[in-house]
Amino acid sequence: MSESPLVLMKDIVKRFPGVLANDHVTFELRRGEVHALLGENGAGKTTLMNILYGLYKPDSGEIYVKGRKANIRSPRDAIRLGIGMVHQHFRLIPTHTVTENIILGLKEAGFVINYKKMNEEIKRLAESYGWKINPDARMWQLSAGEKQQVEILKALYRKAEILILDEPTSVLTPQETRALFRAVRRMAEEGKGVIFITHKLEEVMEVSDRVTVMRKGRVVITKNTRDTNPQELANYMVGRPVIFEIEKKELQPGDPVAVIKDLYAMSDKGVLALKGVNLEVRRNEILGLAGVTGNGQVELVEVITGLRKAVKGRVIIDGKDVTNRSPREIMELGVAYIPPETLRWGVVPSLRVVDNLFLKAYRYPPFSKSAVIDWKKVYEKAEELIREFEIITPSPFVKTRTLSGGNIQRLILARELSGIIGGGVPKLIVAAYPTKGLDVGATEFVLKTLVKYRDMGSGVLLVSEDLEEILRVSDRVAVIFDGKIMGVFKSSEADIEEIGLLMAGVKEKAKAG
Amino acid sequence: MALLPIRFERRLTYTRTAAILTTILAILLAFGAVAILFIILGLDVAAAFQTILNVFITPRLFFQAVVRGVPITLAALGLAIAFRMNFWNIGAEGQIYMGAFASTGIVLAHIYYGFLPEVLVLPTMFLTAFLAGGAWCLLPAVLKAKLNVNEILTTLMMNFIAILWVAYLIYGPWRDPEGFGFPLSIPFPDYAKFLFIAGNQAYTGFTITLIVAALIYLLFRYGKLGFELTVIGQSLDAARYAGINIAKAIVLGAFLSGGLAGIGGLSILSGIIGRLRPDLSPGYGYTAIIVSFLAALNPWLIVPAGIFFGGLFTAGEALQATLKIPGAAVEMFQSIIFIFIIFGEFLKRYRIVVGGGGSGG
Repeated sequence: MSESPLVLMKDIVKRFPGVLANDHVTFELRRGEVHALLGENGAGKTTLMNILYGLYKPDSGEIYVKGRKANIRSPRDAIRLGIGMVHQHFRLIPTHTVTENIILGLKEAGFVINYKKMNEEIKRLAESYGWKINPDARMWQLSAGEKQQVEILKALYRKAEILILDEPTSVLTPQETRALFRAVRRMAEEGKGVIFITHKLEEVMEVSDRVTVMRKGRVVITKNTRDTNPQELANYMVGRPVIFEIEKKELQPGDPVAVIKDLYAMSDKGVLALKGVNLEVRRNEILGLAGVTGNGQVELVEVITGLRKAVKGRVIIDGKDVTNRSPREIMELGVAYIPPETLRWGVVPSLRVVDNLFLKAYRYPPFSKSAVIDWKKVYEKAEELIREFEIITPSPFVKTRTLSGGNIQRLILARELSGIIGGGVPKLIVAAYPTKGLDVGATEFVLKTLVKYRDMGSGVLLVSEDLEEILRVSDRVAVIFDGKIMGVFKSSEADIEEIGLLMAGVKEKAKAG
Repeated sequence: MALLPIRFERRLTYTRTAAILTTILAILLAFGAVAILFIILGLDVAAAFQTILNVFITPRLFFQAVVRGVPITLAALGLAIAFRMNFWNIGAEGQIYMGAFASTGIVLAHIYYGFLPEVLVLPTMFLTAFLAGGAWCLLPAVLKAKLNVNEILTTLMMNFIAILWVAYLIYGPWRDPEGFGFPLSIPFPDYAKFLFIAGNQAYTGFTITLIVAALIYLLFRYGKLGFELTVIGQSLDAARYAGINIAKAIVLGAFLSGGLAGIGGLSILSGIIGRLRPDLSPGYGYTAIIVSFLAALNPWLIVPAGIFFGGLFTAGEALQATLKIPGAAVEMFQSIIFIFIIFGEFLKRYRIVVGGGGSGG
């Protein structure tokens, strides 16, 4: 009998306000395979899997599970169809035991729970994958790796045949990663299908049978893993070079405006995300920071802008030591910040455009005197900024969430760069993923604006996942991997192959090759 | 499977008209449910409703409604500040008691020790009531700002401390020596009462609420602090990013919030009962939470909403007096109305979906 695939997702479309997260995506999972789903953050991998798991409803498209059309409205439906998902962030109850967490919500557990039997079953299940787990241990006593094992057991205990692992190695040590890979291979041998979401090329090569690469909401390609290599995958992931050029003045970079010395900082998860970063950004230059997302970029920009504490090391801006100073002090020194996750950090979507334009400047003259905001001056200036930065909005008084992503980014540029905060051109511009999710026109506007301010004297730190973009506008490129700077190059002399390998953390091979 | 085939879905949008209609419908349904309650109790429904209606159309009773609405309105105006910044102050009741305590202290100090000239007594009462109420909200705010301690719990528990503190004073050192042992303070002299406008407690109290409503309006319309509190309430992350001193703003906002409830406590003594009593508030501080939300935190809407609820308290008393409805039934009557209004607020944000869901896809 010709076997139908475990999962077939056909022409899936999912739109979020301002973003096409999945654009006619087709994805297939076969029995007995580990299928890597590769792509940068925001490529649409997690969205696609959340659809499969019933957390989101697709706008259009069809899902077949074991050959039968499925209507998955909730995780409950997904579980019934044999689909299990382990999220990036664990969803376990810290004060409950392993067994209690696993059987939580399980109807078969019944009203009176036979813990002895369940403990035994769970222990045996764990052992079959080479894991040693004490079913009576409380979650808070377990390491991240063990918690993840519990999450996986939770799915397997519900007889999941289709297992989705969302960036499972991001919290693991190398040893735990190896143990996970062994278990995953074992599941495939048993005829289960495992979907392995990742942005790490080496993991794809190591654990998967097939790989599907996604970029900007679309599937780029699906290939057998043995027929491809990390370099090819990196190309698919990052995309082809863009043709158009951005005009840039020939300038000699000036004195350093930002010096970062041996910087250490923790991530939100409490692990070391920066492990001794050294960088220098100079006047009249754009320093591009290339790297796969999640290697410390966000932590770095947050430490520079005062939003995150440094554990060790210094941040010197314009000759002043500002390590661990408040965001406000740093902003008042002339540091502009274009944050990642615009809707979370950059603007308050429920407030008006004018409120967001003056989210920082409301407290400075001439826009306020003592405790009172002078809205008349604010409104006048807002009209001016909207014109200057070509923000398309029906009026300054509409809610910011009604604007497109590109216009919200223009709003942020206007707020940060126009001089309403400190007056004058910013000394340092920290731009974190400023073009993420934007269309071509808005991307061009953002990059041109950054170049314009670089020509006017700012030093720019441009963080991006898009290597092409970095090479187009940067004067120098630094590569970050695992919280360390792997190398700094002049853009004109940069070798894209070498940078790609450094981004994947394979320095030695690059030199040998 | 769920026990009931009912789900709640968050509404993405709702229009202002729909919101107003929902509120009106909720109030009408509430009165419908109250009618059923009255029938079960074997009461004359028509007469009961006539009594309730009378509160809002008879000048003498309506004045009563206004007077009782004043402390509710003042506390609700304060809560609007806290709720705008997502600080869940459930402690208005305790802040009311602390305001009442502090203002009584001034009266007693004046009478027994000649503290302050007579004309300064009432202004000083305003000040101390404000400070005491504010201080009562300060501890939860500092704990929240510095240690991220849940303010719902702390503000709520502070209520009990305040209420018991007042009870201690009134059963102990502050009891009126000529009061035949009743737990009451000495009666307030007229210069410590809300009689400075038209010699009338309703006019005076109402004027005060209008002034406070205007101040709150100005705070959020023009104040830097108001802007900061709004940003904090809408997005804590963006507030951090914008360099707002979040701890300072939360502490300041909470202080104002508690302070206004403290003035509410003063308004009970100087505007209604004329002395300190252990049962000075029948839950005005909790009612204020509902009023604040019913008015969508808009200070101008809080004033009429507060008077409406003041009217419900007055109606409850009238029912007890004229129809001999038991006190417990009156409380049920008020609770039913609260529940319907709260459910109406819920329906503005969620829609009910009956059945297993649509076709999907």
